[in-house]
Amino acid sequence: MSAAFDTIETRSDGAALTSTGEARDFFALLKPRVMFLVIVTAMGGMAAAPGAIHPVLGLAALLAIAVGAGASGCLNMWWDADIDSLMTRTARRPIPAGRILPSEALAFGLTLAVGSVIVLGLVANLLAAGLLAFTIFFYAVVYSMWLKRWTPQNIVIGGAAGAFPPMIGEAVVTGDFGIRSLVLFAIIFLWTPPHFWALALVKAADYGRAGVPMLPNVAGPAATRRQIVVYTLLMAPVAVLPALMGFAGAIYLFVSVVTGLAMIGLSLRVLRTTEGEAAHKAAYALFGFSILYLFLLFAVLLAENSLGLMWALPKAIG
Amino acid sequence: MSEAPKRPVQAAFSPEDMARRNRRSVALALVLAGLAVFFFVVTLVKTAPAILNRPL
Repeated sequence: MSAAFDTIETRSDGAALTSTGEARDFFALLKPRVMFLVIVTAMGGMAAAPGAIHPVLGLAALLAIAVGAGASGCLNMWWDADIDSLMTRTARRPIPAGRILPSEALAFGLTLAVGSVIVLGLVANLLAAGLLAFTIFFYAVVYSMWLKRWTPQNIVIGGAAGAFPPMIGEAVVTGDFGIRSLVLFAIIFLWTPPHFWALALVKAADYGRAGVPMLPNVAGPAATRRQIVVYTLLMAPVAVLPALMGFAGAIYLFVSVVTGLAMIGLSLRVLRTTEGEAAHKAAYALFGFSILYLFLLFAVLLAENSLGLMWALPKAIG
Repeated sequence: MSEAPKRPVQAAFSPEDMARRNRRSVALALVLAGLAVFFFVVTLVKTAPAILNRPL
């Protein structure tokens, strides 16, 4: 190979203008585990929507939503690279680890954001595209750039960004959104604080080092534990509403009640267990189970609506 | 007297760096090919009903 191709461009101060990051590093910028939950919740919104869409267009829309979610994760990592390098949980991410340049991540994130919104507008409709654009803006600008380093309510308000995918899903199918996706929005919105604060209890030292005002660092662990219980007690009944409103069936009712009780039990364990390794284990258990909980709710909603498993209950509302 | 404009400095890539860049290029090519197929299929699905139903 010619020597001309074996060189790397650098600025006059010696800093590299291009990285040697691999495809998997760029994929890691998209926060694939978050993308997976976004896909599941958006599919839940699509499945629960009163209408139908051509399966190919539905898959194409899901891909656009997933890429849009990835773009907002990428822009979040670009903005937070300085504090990510200070926290053990995030120090190995591609930008703080030096495998991807910040400028590359910014270009990558912006390209995917614009591309995903345009594709969703062409594949589905302008409302769905507009909601996706707003979601990306909300996560990257409102949450990452503004709320995260400013207020301990950062993940409460910022949680709205993660709650939009079911609404986008319904908009894809119907060109509109109604009470069904608003209920699904509420479930994710109320799920976010106990999920993140459980992690924040364990990683309080990390967040303190980075200067991020998470609730345990600002209000203290005891207040955080109480708030976790309050939000879980609000969330569990709301999560049952899809069955009571008739857009989920008996399996969903059973799963949402049983797993909702488990969430309440785990949150009460976090409230009671305040010292030492046991406290960390209790918080980690709630954090881990909360991911499974949200996945199960939307997976069952999806299965019931799309695989003919809907054993309807007597309609109580709507 | 005016200074000569600063030009980017060229530093050497190691063989490992070059291998990583090559793998990245292959992945990018695959993504672009996938996008071409994606747009083709979506266009077919979006336009085929109108084509089949047009007056002959």
